[in-house]
Amino acid sequence: MKEGFRQAMAWLHTWVGLIFGWLLFAIFLTGTLSYFKDEITHWMQPEVQVHGVDDARSLAVAQAYLERQAPTAARWFITLPDSRDPGLSVMWQDKVDPGKRGNFIQKVLDPVSGQPVQVRESMGGEFFYRFHFQLQMPHPWGRWLSTFAAMVMFVALITGIITHKKIFKDFFTFRPRKGQRSWLDGHNAVGVLVLPFHLMITYSSLVIFMSMVMPAPIVASYGDDTRAFFSEVFPATDNAPALGQPGKLLPLGPMYAQARQQWAGGHVGRVAVNNPGDVNASVNVFRAGSDSVVHDFGSIVSFNGTTGEQVRVSGEPSLPAVIGGSFYGLHMGHFAGPVLRWLYFICGLAGTAMIGSGLVIWLGKRQLKHVKSGVMPFELKLVEVLNIASMSGLMIAIAAFFWANRLLPVSVAERSAWEVQVFFIAWGLSLLHAMLRRGRQGWVEQLSVGALLFVAVPLLNAITTSEHLGVSLARGDWAMAGFDLTCLGSGVFLAWAAWKMQRRAALPSKAEGVPSLKLKPEAH
Amino acid sequence: MLVALLMCYAGFTALCLSTDRHHGELLHSKPSPRRRLGLRAAGWLLLTVSIWPAVVIAGWGQGLVQWCAVLMLSALLLVLLLPYRPRLAMNLAGIGLLACPVAAVATL
Repeated sequence: MKEGFRQAMAWLHTWVGLIFGWLLFAIFLTGTLSYFKDEITHWMQPEVQVHGVDDARSLAVAQAYLERQAPTAARWFITLPDSRDPGLSVMWQDKVDPGKRGNFIQKVLDPVSGQPVQVRESMGGEFFYRFHFQLQMPHPWGRWLSTFAAMVMFVALITGIITHKKIFKDFFTFRPRKGQRSWLDGHNAVGVLVLPFHLMITYSSLVIFMSMVMPAPIVASYGDDTRAFFSEVFPATDNAPALGQPGKLLPLGPMYAQARQQWAGGHVGRVAVNNPGDVNASVNVFRAGSDSVVHDFGSIVSFNGTTGEQVRVSGEPSLPAVIGGSFYGLHMGHFAGPVLRWLYFICGLAGTAMIGSGLVIWLGKRQLKHVKSGVMPFELKLVEVLNIASMSGLMIAIAAFFWANRLLPVSVAERSAWEVQVFFIAWGLSLLHAMLRRGRQGWVEQLSVGALLFVAVPLLNAITTSEHLGVSLARGDWAMAGFDLTCLGSGVFLAWAAWKMQRRAALPSKAEGVPSLKLKPEAH
Repeated sequence: MLVALLMCYAGFTALCLSTDRHHGELLHSKPSPRRRLGLRAAGWLLLTVSIWPAVVIAGWGQGLVQWCAVLMLSALLLVLLLPYRPRLAMNLAGIGLLACPVAAVATL
């Protein structure tokens, strides 16, 4: 390969990596957390009690509740509890004039008593999931920016592979305690060893937002009628319209059982009932996303609600739908059981670490040139501030979000919005702090604060709820216990990082100065 | 997943030992050409064959995803262990290889 080409790629890798690194770090970390979206939500709404999963009972309870509360609604949605999310969620849409969409009302029910649970208002894990691709921006902009970031990530991955001269020779190489050399080794190791995941996650994110990134093929085949494309890709169920005559809805249990039979024992995720009080009521049973790697957007069995007759079974998805669905499924990991879910999580962390180490390397290399004079140019100071705020600052913000969930009074108006506010306030403060306390001192202080906040999460949970580790472990509530333990682990990790930083600050010349000067200019 | 994990880890360790640098670090000697070839063949064989238990247990869809995950993370584990606990890293591969048939009998 021509050296000129490789150098051009290295240049591209360096600069797109820097400009988008901070954003990508946040996208990767919050996306990684989203693999435990339901578990985080469970921790953030501890009022929802865990019961053994019993779909028949949950369904009967939900139907009874909805018949009492919303007999005239246009539509009911029942989302069944599963091992990850213990809440039985029901939602209904008021009857409204045609052409206008009615309000949706959502309640979480206790799957045994059927009573609505008074849960604290919180976005839970949904916040990280939404932030991960909407970036808390007004509607199209956040998605555009994150899609653009994904494209940049893809460019950074490809140029990174080209730049890396000795992928196979250095495959097993990691030399710690050698300053800049170790950072580069680590960056390469997590990059190369977890490369299939990085490529999959980045490419699939582009596929998921395909219609936004590359609308040309859709526009070419469907003209301006992009709705036609979506209704072909996501076949809506054309249900019978309401007749206006009152009817009696049959119990949903048998329809549920019949749908499962249809799927050879597959699981039910959601049940939707259209016009529940009408003689023309229709019931759609949706298959759970956890059943298959290939995500199927419309695996539905439909029934007539008053006769119980099976009306329609959605057909096998077409090949393009299977391909698109497998990218979607692989990205989201809905199908993953506990072990695989953890592996996903670790892969996500590896991606986050790759981005973070890349940012550190960029700065470290350039700072070396100014070690002697002791004066850093403005742009290096800026990068340093942004590095600190985007990495350790984000950790603090995440911890603050969890703290806000436990400390904000339940009665506060717009409580869930306040939790999000606290997240951004904490992030903003850490940016301010990074500007005031530069360099290692800034790192050490922020990492220590983050460590403290995370380590104390189990304690906070024990003080403010009755769901402390002793209770959750004894009861086998692994989502609750796992959250506490993971926070504890993250805190210990941050403390270790702070300690390392502190120690290196004490002997800067030995750790950084001499050996790293031997570095050959491989990656820039 | 366990069988695939053990096989992948052992496979990567064999591949790692087939390089002069790591063989020197871990066993303090240079591998003979025959040994190098043998290690390399064993490594690749273990990595390829490990698809089989993954797919047999979990089916093609889930199995391949699990195999990929295990493949990546066993290599990551090995690389992180090597500089800090080289003996442990090697011993784990040996123990894993020995435990493989047991785990296979238990799960397959």
